[in-house]
Amino acid sequence: MKILVADDSRVMRQIVIRTLRQAGFGDHDVVEAADGAAAHEAINTEAPDLVLSDWNMPNMTGIELLRAVRASGSTVPFGFVTSESSDEMQQIAEAGGALFLITKPFTADTFRERLETILG
Amino acid sequence: MTVDELPTVEQLNMIAEDAWSAYLDPEGDTPLEIDVPEAVPVELSASVAVVGAWNGHLVVSCSRNGSRDVASAMLALPADELSADDIGDALGELANVLGGNVKSLLPAPSTLSLPRVGAGDDERWPGSVEVCQTVMRWRGEPFRVSLLHSEQNNTTREVA
Repeated sequence: MKILVADDSRVMRQIVIRTLRQAGFGDHDVVEAADGAAAHEAINTEAPDLVLSDWNMPNMTGIELLRAVRASGSTVPFGFVTSESSDEMQQIAEAGGALFLITKPFTADTFRERLETILG
Repeated sequence: MTVDELPTVEQLNMIAEDAWSAYLDPEGDTPLEIDVPEAVPVELSASVAVVGAWNGHLVVSCSRNGSRDVASAMLALPADELSADDIGDALGELANVLGGNVKSLLPAPSTLSLPRVGAGDDERWPGSVEVCQTVMRWRGEPFRVSLLHSEQNNTTREVA
């Protein structure tokens, strides 16, 4: 499977990718996007099987990305990996069609728990 | 919001310890020391702004060596392979993680800005007062985490 990791921080993209590996998902292909607009383009060109997106990004935020993706008819599994996790954000994410919201700082256990049913 | 409801130093320490154990010291080899009575040589600072029902900034300050250690740990790269962008990105992301968690303790709704990183100790937040501050030591380098409150929606900063 192919996983798209969208975060404007290269450091955080590397941490997410490393955590995927530590959680036992290292065999999957990973593509990266440095902001929401680049992630939107990558979803169209790379056809990922899962999107892990930051919430707060330049050009297009994570929630704007999710809404644009759903508006285009895509049902790609989509989850947020973000430093914020208020009830309001959980509700907005869920209403937008996100499967989950993982809060930073996260561990490999969190990734395993949230992604196991999607990545197998 | 009353003073009693504002985030405390203890909560700031817990949030920092969680971030350190997840991203900077996952094996527990170099534990973070908290509440260290030490002056912090501020050579690099990263901040995020909280804007909305509560306004302010979360600021992380440290030495060059401290910021290099953070980037080296977060990227799992030797220090001599790091670029200046890597170091700024890492410290900014640390401020983002700490700020996002602190924001969850503050009145909603509010939004969190993208991180900003600056060199030296010249940056000021006019009209802001410090809510709480903690100084920690990691790998022998001191780090200061400060939460500043602004009465107004003031996200601009002046350079002295």
